[in-house]
Amino acid sequence: MKLLTGEILSNEKYSDNLYKMEIFSPYICKNATAGQFINVKCSPEGVLDPLLRRPFGIFNIEKKFNVFSMLYRVKGRGTKFISGLKSGDMLDFAGPMGNGIDLNGNENNILLIGGGIGIAPLYLIAKVAGEMKKNVFFAAGFKDNSYLRWEKDLIELKINYAVLTEDGSWGEKGLVSDYVWNNMKSFKNFDIYCCGPRDMLKTLQNIYKDRNNKVTALLEERMACGVGVCAGCVVKLRKGKKGFSYKKVCKDGPAFNLGEVIFD
Amino acid sequence: MTEQDSLFSYETDTGGNGFSLSVRLGRIKLDNPVIACSGTFACGLEYSQFYNTAILGAVTTKSYSLKPIEGNPPPRICETASGMLNSIGLQNDGIDIFIKKHLHEAEKLGIKIILSIFGQDPEEFRKVASRAADIKERIIAVELNLSCPNVKNGGMAFSAMPDEVEKIVSSTVSILNIPVIAKLSPNHQNLVEAAMAAKKGGAEALSVINTVVGMAVDIETFMPRLGNVLGGLSGPAVKPIALAKVYSLTREKILPVIGMGGVFSWQDALEFLVVGASAVGIGTANFIQYDVGEKIIEGLRNYLKEKKIYDINEVIGRLRT
Repeated sequence: MKLLTGEILSNEKYSDNLYKMEIFSPYICKNATAGQFINVKCSPEGVLDPLLRRPFGIFNIEKKFNVFSMLYRVKGRGTKFISGLKSGDMLDFAGPMGNGIDLNGNENNILLIGGGIGIAPLYLIAKVAGEMKKNVFFAAGFKDNSYLRWEKDLIELKINYAVLTEDGSWGEKGLVSDYVWNNMKSFKNFDIYCCGPRDMLKTLQNIYKDRNNKVTALLEERMACGVGVCAGCVVKLRKGKKGFSYKKVCKDGPAFNLGEVIFD
Repeated sequence: MTEQDSLFSYETDTGGNGFSLSVRLGRIKLDNPVIACSGTFACGLEYSQFYNTAILGAVTTKSYSLKPIEGNPPPRICETASGMLNSIGLQNDGIDIFIKKHLHEAEKLGIKIILSIFGQDPEEFRKVASRAADIKERIIAVELNLSCPNVKNGGMAFSAMPDEVEKIVSSTVSILNIPVIAKLSPNHQNLVEAAMAAKKGGAEALSVINTVVGMAVDIETFMPRLGNVLGGLSGPAVKPIALAKVYSLTREKILPVIGMGGVFSWQDALEFLVVGASAVGIGTANFIQYDVGEKIIEGLRNYLKEKKIYDINEVIGRLRT
């Protein structure tokens, strides 16, 4: 993990609030694995407002070109700032952070379930699993068609996928969790990675409660340091029969066994 | 296309070419006045990925209690204008794990350790201090986190009650026999009285300020933005408050002060020194600029060289009013 500045090669607008930024960084490309994130300073040099760095899952790594990318939604002041950065500008970031996903011990079948911007870190997992010749299926759900441009990235992976939208404007109409439920039999021997809104994760937790699939959730929480020091980004996990403990998303995660997560 | 390491080389000689950064707070001697604040640096291990944390004047550990504490429900963090609120709830592994594990790790890195401790009542303070006494040769001081609530006395913070401050300080001082620092809260009117009580109890120095109580509300859901409703404000937003609080104590010349609150640069650190702080704590800045401690030491050293000031102590308390 290092503090770095990397040149922005592109900051492409996918739709109103969705952007993909490509950053030149041999260090990240050499050291990062799928599931890890970077922590980005989202204010100009020397300016301390917005104050905190923002964590972004690594969306893609192109080792050959020493370029990695992040797909992000403009939600507040921090993401608004970086959406205004241009190619040639330098990005102040630290990484790679968090624990990467090790796909070696997995089933040969991998199902990725993403909701909204939750697809971002799953994309790299899908890519790596594909490169390992695993059978990969990506189920992605959105409110509307604002992520449409992302389908182009997905097609590049040459994997099977399904897109669902709540308004039916792209792919099938419905929720991604319903899609998973309806196709339960086809995904029987799949290891699952999911990332997305809390409600989606809660539903998936219920669906897989009494099943044997290994289900891993990539979680998100408000973060201050990103390196495991401040204990700000904790999530509640089951401990023993009735107990719980708080684990840090940044250092213990961001991937957790979905069955152990307590959604209060 | 470029990518740069933000790390830069540092000189291990913190004095450097006849310019001295070393300071003294009672019996506590530091190579330089830059201290990592409690709760923002763990025990130094994580940040040693970014620079040699042994160059810091000292690292104040996370606050440890007798038994492990899980802390407050999330969300625990909320960004505000030039600042952040936190309600971590003093989550920690307990003093025994510190002694068995974290202390050893910090020692291996050569970090000078100030151990921060707290208790939910005076008795717990004494018990944790007794454990700390077993390792007193391995730490340079103990800092008492007196901003935590006194559970046995209506939940009011210890530092709000000068009598309690004196009692806790004197009991821990008698157990420890090493310098004791009292960390005081800015949230009460009687900061000077609390400081005097700490002195009476035998404290060697004061750490000022802890976070300023605050809150934020989500106007979509009408919910507080912190799981604990109230939290502590830190970051650049609190620096003027911190400077004023430090000044209120240094003016009275009660005890040496470690000034902290919103220090992000060597210029910020210098402001605290000028108002009379003998050392400066770096807190929230560690979360954003991981190597800020190193940068501030470097900045202070360059300042001395540029101004041809041979001893940092010549700057301390030189506020012209």
